[in-house]
Parts: sequence; C-alpha cells; structure tokens
Amino acid sequence: MYYLGIDIGSLSCDSVLINDDETVLATSVVPTGARNKESIARATEETLRAASIEKKDVKAIVSTGYGRDRVEDRLSSVTEITCHARGIRAMLPDTRVLIDIGGQDSKSILLGEDGKVVDFAMNDKCAAGTGRFLEAMARALQVDIDEMGELDANAQGGLSISSICTVFAESEVVSLIADGTQVSEIVRGINNSIAFRTLSLVKRVAMKPDGFAIAMSGGVARNTGVVSAISAALGDINVSVPELPDTIGALGAALIAREKSA
Amino acid sequence: MEQKKLIGYACAYTPLALIHAAGFTPYRILPDKDCPDQAGLILHDNLCPHVKRILDRAMDNQLPDLDGMVFMNSCDSMRRLADAWQQARPDIKMTLVDLPITSSDRDCAFFQGELQELSSTLEEWKGETLTPERLTGSIQIYNSLAENLEKLNTELQRGSTYNGAGLLQSTCLKASCTAPEEMVAEVESLIGSAGEEQQKDNSVPIYLFGNVLPDAEAFKMFAECGAGIVRDDLCTGSRLFAEVATRAEGLDDLLLDYAAGILNRQPCARTIVEAQPGKLAKDVIAGAKQYQVKGVIGYSLKFCDPYIARLPGIRAALKAEGIPFLMLEGDCTNRSIGQQKTRIEAFIEMLR
Amino acid sequence: MMKEYFEELENGLQTAIDNNQGSIRMLYSLEIARLGKRLYSGEDKVAWCGIIAPFDLLSALDVTSCFVEFIGAMMAATNVAGDLIEETNHIGYSSDSCSYHRAVMGATMKELMPKPELLIGTTCPCSGGLAVIENLAAHFEKSFYLLQIPQDQAPKNVRYLADQMREMVSFVTKITGIPMDTEKVKFAMETSNKIREVLIEIFNLAKQVPSPVTGKDLSNFGIVMALFSGTESGLALAEAFRDELKQRSQNLTASGSNEKFRLLWIQNRIQFKNPIEKLLEDQYGAKIVIDELNDVTWGAVDPDDPYEGLASRAISIPFNGPAQNRVQHLQRLAEEYQVHGAINPCNWGCRQGTGSRGLIEASLKEIGVPVLNLEVDCIDHKKFTEGQFRTRVEAFMEMMDS
Ligand code: SF4
Ligand code: SF4
Repeated sequence: MYYLGIDIGSLSCDSVLINDDETVLATSVVPTGARNKESIARATEETLRAASIEKKDVKAIVSTGYGRDRVEDRLSSVTEITCHARGIRAMLPDTRVLIDIGGQDSKSILLGEDGKVVDFAMNDKCAAGTGRFLEAMARALQVDIDEMGELDANAQGGLSISSICTVFAESEVVSLIADGTQVSEIVRGINNSIAFRTLSLVKRVAMKPDGFAIAMSGGVARNTGVVSAISAALGDINVSVPELPDTIGALGAALIAREKSA
Repeated sequence: MEQKKLIGYACAYTPLALIHAAGFTPYRILPDKDCPDQAGLILHDNLCPHVKRILDRAMDNQLPDLDGMVFMNSCDSMRRLADAWQQARPDIKMTLVDLPITSSDRDCAFFQGELQELSSTLEEWKGETLTPERLTGSIQIYNSLAENLEKLNTELQRGSTYNGAGLLQSTCLKASCTAPEEMVAEVESLIGSAGEEQQKDNSVPIYLFGNVLPDAEAFKMFAECGAGIVRDDLCTGSRLFAEVATRAEGLDDLLLDYAAGILNRQPCARTIVEAQPGKLAKDVIAGAKQYQVKGVIGYSLKFCDPYIARLPGIRAALKAEGIPFLMLEGDCTNRSIGQQKTRIEAFIEMLR
Repeated sequence: MMKEYFEELENGLQTAIDNNQGSIRMLYSLEIARLGKRLYSGEDKVAWCGIIAPFDLLSALDVTSCFVEFIGAMMAATNVAGDLIEETNHIGYSSDSCSYHRAVMGATMKELMPKPELLIGTTCPCSGGLAVIENLAAHFEKSFYLLQIPQDQAPKNVRYLADQMREMVSFVTKITGIPMDTEKVKFAMETSNKIREVLIEIFNLAKQVPSPVTGKDLSNFGIVMALFSGTESGLALAEAFRDELKQRSQNLTASGSNEKFRLLWIQNRIQFKNPIEKLLEDQYGAKIVIDELNDVTWGAVDPDDPYEGLASRAISIPFNGPAQNRVQHLQRLAEEYQVHGAINPCNWGCRQGTGSRGLIEASLKEIGVPVLNLEVDCIDHKKFTEGQFRTRVEAFMEMMDS
C-alpha cells in the first residue's frame, strides 16, 4: 500500500509518496497558484505519475501546511510543525532543533529525544526573517532568489542590515544600492539579518542550542548563504540540511498517514 | 583624576545630582552600540527600541563596570526594562524609582519620598551618606553644566555655526556619561571657541522634538540637508540637563525642592498636566515660535506609546498654526534615519 | 446608532431570558447592554476611565463610569473596530500601538463615543490607555483626574493613592454638582464586599476538576465585573453565575466530562468573533478554565472609610508593579487550576501584557506549563489571519496531545 503526504504552503505545494517500508517513491514541488485545489491536484498527479501508481492504491492521504483543510480526500490534516518534526526524524534522526523558514512564517521546533515536539516558536506578525522577507529583498536587489546563495559566497562580509522591520530593511537595502555597495555584500548582510532573527527563534525554544543537533528544512534551506549565516550566528554550530529540504513537511505527512492508517 | 564609581541610568528624569551627591558618576546607558538583537527573547520584539537596545547591551556585556543601575518608572517600556534587567543581569544591582505623571504638591511629596529611598539604596551600594551640603553642591554643579550648555547653544546659534546642533548633541551625550565637574570646564572652552567659528551657513531654522536620537550622524545629515536645528527637545538632547532651583536648606526640604524641580522640568510625552490636556502640542508650538523657526521636525522611535498617542494632536495643532511639520520614525539603528534623507531634503527645499 | 444597538440587544436578550431560554452568559450580556445603553443615553453623567478606576465609588457618586477599552472591545464584538482603526491612520496614529485605543480614537473621530462629563485616568495598566484619556479630555474639552497607582503596598504608597481617591471625590462632586451621600457610598462598598465573596465562590467552583465552566463562560468576566461592582445588579449577576456553576458541578460529578486539557488564558480574550474556544473544545477536548484577570487579589474594603481599601485594591491588580507580580500570580493560577497549558494572545501593540512575553513564558515553563504565544491583534479582525492562527493553536495541541 501507498501513503501520500501533501504540504500546501503559501509559495509551493509539495507532495511525497511512500510505501509500507517508508521508502520515498516520488516527490513533487509545484507552485501554489491562486487556486489551491488545482495545485493540490497537480502535485498529486505528478507524484503518482512519477511513481507509476494509481490513486486507488493510495491507502491514506495526510495534508499539512496552510491549505491543509483544502485536501478533500484526506485521512486527516496535521500542522506543519508536527509534520516537519516527523519528517526530519526520518531523514536526520539525531535532530533536536529544527529550523523551518517558510514563506509566511518561520519556526523553530524543539524535539525530544523520542522525536516528539516538545516546544516550538514562530515569528511575530512582522515578516522579517521569513521567506517573504527574502523575496522582498531579492526584489529590491533585482536578483533571482536562487542566485542569492552564490552571491553570498562571494562576499567579504562585515556589512549588516541593521533595520529589524521589513519596511525599514527594504529601504535600507535600496539606499545601500544607491551608495554603490556591492550586491554580494548586501546579500550577505540580508542573510546575517535573517540569521539573527532565526537565532532568537532558536533561543526561544533552546536557550543554549550548542550540544543539540540542529537541522533546517523548508525551501530557504536550499539557500546556502542563509544556512551558513545561521550556522555562524549560532556560534559555528553545524546546521544540517536534508536532501530535498522543501519536501520534509510532506514527507512527515506521508509518514503520519502510514502510522494513522496502520 | 580619580576614577569614580559609576551608576548606570536610562531616562532623562533620573535625579543625576542625587546620584552624584552619593559619590557616584551617573553614566547613561545609551542605545547606541551594535549588539545582537536579543531583547525580544526576554520581553517582546514590539517594544520601544530604546529599551530593547539597552537590554541588548546588557545581555551582550557591553557595559562599563557599574556599581548599580537606577531605573525610572517613566513608561511601560521602561518598567519592562527594569523587569528584564533583573533576569538578564542579576549581577548588577538595580532599583526602580517611581515617577509621578503630574506634579501636584502631593506628587512632589511622594517623589521626595522616592528620592529619599533612592539615597538609602545608594548608601547600601557603598555610596556616601546624603547631606544637605553634598546635595546642594551636586545640584549646583549640574546647574552650572545646564547653564553652560544653554550658553553654548546660544553661542552656536548666534554664530550660526555649521552643524552647531550636532556639536551640542555630542556634548550632551558625552555629558550624560561623564563626571559633571569635567564637563563644566569642557563646555566652557567650547563656548569660547564657538564664538570664533563664525562661518555663516544658510540653513533653514528648525525646531526638533521627540525622544531618543543619540546619533551624531543624524545631526550631520540634518546639517547636510540644510536643516539648522536651532532648538531640540529630545530625551538625549538638552532636556536631560535643566537647571533646578532650590531654596531650602534642610535635607528634607531640599529633596522636596529637587523633586519639584525634576517633575516640573521641560516635559516629555509621558508627563501630563491635568489642567491642560494635550499640552505637549502647545509646548511644541511655543518652542517653534520662541525660536522663530520655519518648520518643525518630530522624531520618534517606533513603539513609543507616549509619543504615538500624542503625535496626532501635535500634528493637528501645528497644522492649525500653519507651521510646516515633518515626522520621522526610527528604531535606534544608525541607518534607519539615513534612509529618510530624501524626505528631510524635500522638506527643507519646501521651506526655502 | 449605538444607543439603538444596545436597546435592541437588551430587548432581545430580555425576551430570551423571559422565555426561559437564557444562559448565564446572557444575563451577563444583558448587564453589558444596559451599561451600553446608559453610556449612550445622553442622560447619564458619564465618566470615561482607566481600567482600574474605582467603579463602585463612582457609581455611588451617581456617575455612569466605564473604562474606554470597553468600547474598543464592543466595537470589535460588532466587527466595526477594523474600520474605526483604519480611520486613525488618517490622523497619523501609528499602527504600532494597541488596537483597543486606536478603536476608541477612531470611534471618537466618527462621533461614536458619548461625550463624557469628566474623565478619570489610571496609570495602570498602560501608558497608552492613560494617553487616550488625556486625548479624550482634550477632544471633549472636559476635565480629567489622574489616579497614579504606585508600585507596591508600602503604607506610604497606599496613603498616596487613598489621598488621590479622596481628592477624586471632590473633583467629581464639584463637576456633577451632586454632593456625596455617605450612606450610598457605604452601601456600595458593602455590596462590593459581597460581590467579592461571591466571586471567590465562583472561582473556586471553576477550579474543580473537571471544571463546571465552559471555555466561554468566564471570558472577560473579572475585568467586566469590576464595572458592575458596588451595584445590586452586579451582585445579582454574580450570584446567578455562582448558582448555575454550583448546579452544574453537582450534575457533573454524576455524569463525568469530556475535559481532557485544562488551559490558562493570559490577559484578555480575542474580542471579535473567532473560532478558538470551539476549536479547542470540539477538536481537542481542551477547555479554558481560568483567565488571568478572573481572580480576587484584594481584601474587603471598610465601608465606613473605604479609601485605603480601594487604594490597596487598585495596587493589588497583578498588572500593576513589576512583571514579577504577574509572573507569580500566573504560576499560582496555573497550579491552583491544575492547567496543562497556557495561551498568551500577545495582543499586538500592548507593551504592558505582551511586553513581558518572554518572562511569562519562561516562568510558566519552569513549572511545567507550556505556553502558546498567539501573536494576534485582539481587536482588529481585519488583521486576523485564520490560517496562521489555526496552525499555531493546532500545533500546540498536537504537541500536548502526543
Ligand atoms: S522612547 Fe518612549 S517608550 Fe521608549 S523609553 Fe522613552 S518614553 Fe518610553
Ligand atoms: S491590551 Fe495592553 S496596551 Fe491595550 S489596553 Fe490592555 S494593557 Fe493597555
């Protein structure tokens, strides 16, 4: 039998298909369009097609993410906090602190030794430190968001974006551009500022994070600049990134689907 | 000169002369250091940046050696700062002095009691016992400092020194962290040289009010934009040093005079005059008129409730008077004001 | 418009109650409707106040008094707060401040705030609230008196506040022209003392495991009951709550309950319609059994000389003084009510309650009570994003349930 996990986030809709051995058979990531339902259908279809499986052989679907209640034929819906925790345990079993920077909000999750969620913290209303913040900054810089990791790698460092609020930060970036500051330096500055925000989220669940295995999931984890900035901010603690970090939530959902229908 | 022990403080209402009389140098913890932003962990991120940056300094060990910290109960954020301090730096003793919102006789008497308690606390912190002579002496030193700063301002304005306001501000900031004896002399010499430097600039006279702007760069930028700040009303500016008149001789009466002096000084937004609701707006207008400025610039930190609530009234009152007004908002980081350069320039162009 | 609204509300509730369809919560809403009607009647002498003004003393002086935040909450409950708040953008009232106050200022601009006869500000709970009283005084060109609540119960502090309350009485009587009737004051104080006793009974009932309250029964209860203190209708209302809970508690022990998790709510509830209580109860068997402000922290007041007692009552409110007061109070409530978790809405812009977020969270965790920080605006429904909200609540419950 097969189990499907779907994570409907604000930016992308991810799905993961597993079998009874918890082996991942296929994954897909499609952008969340204006209509959730279509993206859900597309992601499901793509995944099933990639694994050459028919829908009727899927025993259970668990959905997660903001659009989790939109999946009609789901067994149940579970929040992305629980799903990311479940998913990361399958990929990186030692993880005790998980950082997930999503489009809408970023979270830090503290896992117990048994892998259960012990505590979590989410960003405040303002968008600083979220995927949306990163997008806004990329827009202000007129660079592609996927280029940002590379740009960061070329930076000397030393510059910091001091404004905390997205609105201030955005105009700070604009004025740095106007001053002729190199784009790569600005990118590094932005990453450092995200890292600071993240650091305080991590500290809210684990005041002294050293000694804990730390991992990061979500699309932003593909941005190597952000990951290394976070690692530096934590005091040079290694931050592990699993394969396909965007699909960790969906993977967790699939695993939960298997457990729940057992 | 022998290095005196330092007592930290954070609010312009702090009784500096009392701390000085106990044998300490009052040292203002300014929100001007670059430290990691972590105050939100203990408190919340939506809090006055002045308070958050001070806490960041404390959490990041960016403080001089302090023998204690004196907080004033001036607003919610300050209250929270005192709460957080105990958790962040249990190694630095602290005390909170209650501060009435109005200045009736009863309030002054109450505040006198608070000052009395503060002087016992300072004594416990190994300070000197308060005597009328010591207190009078310290009040006089601070009065001469205030007088000198006032003179310096007049001198700077008379000569229209380029960025005179910047010089005045940095002097005030230095004075807020330095023994007053030293500063009295320093300001005196500045007065002497200010007169010589009579370079005329054609800046537009501006009245500046608000809360915390401990940033020399900001004043440099005002000058570059052609804004000549002829008078400021800032927590970190001239408001901190104001003369206090005392007549009494016994310690109790002297403290009462001093208490009344502090409660009646140029108010910030947190102080209220019951008989004149909305007085802050009138004060701003009076200031603008007295100094014959062409426009008013307001500067407030984000999340400062006392100012947030009064700004609409001030805006409306200035409008009714036909005085042009520009409002700037900041967050105690160096660049937040830098970004507003265009707005300041445009405002000045409009006034020319 | 508001007057009609409250009249209709009153009539509707009265009919339901007369037809025996009334819950205790309806009796409570009925009292609120009556207060609203009096505030908007144009006949009563109205005083706009800070949250911890002595409402019993003021009503004994024939003044219809109310804290302004009540109007903010009413506007939220009727879903108009969002528009009023937007209105304040036009006058440059920063959105970084508390929406209770922005809603009140918006209502004032739209002439939805009844004109007061006088105002009484209180320095507690917040700088923002005090500023609004000053602004309203300026707007309506009315006199205001300020009660400055000291930080602790030191005798000199109690005296300072008691003297202010005495002066407040002369301030009020001078404006209303109605001299103080000592018998009336005495009666009000006696009634307040009785209400106090009944409140203690109510809260003790709520403490039982399982609790006879539902998550909504006592929402906003403590803070609103203060408005009815010193009055016979307030006493009757409190007694009705007590009797109902007693009744329920007897039935409960017989029938059992589906109460799985007991929760502590920090500060005030979300004031506009929202799914939280239902979500918690239906999906997770979780029930809010205690709100921070549902507690009696003061002693009885001497009816013949109430001022010291009233002063001490105001000082005792846990929102006053150091955050340590709140923290200890919350820890005590968590223990007494045997809660499994706590929810802090962290009302956007509140420096008083929300400003202590980290301190509160740490201290509750210390005693094994996890805290969910919601980060919502409790008044402005336009800022409410149900998705984010649900994710936080559900993840929190999933965590407790695992
Ligand atoms: S800037 Fe405003 S909120 Fe901050 S300490 Fe000063 S008065 Fe308080
Ligand atoms: S929510 Fe906070 S700021 Fe708003 S009225 Fe209440 S205590 Fe004051």
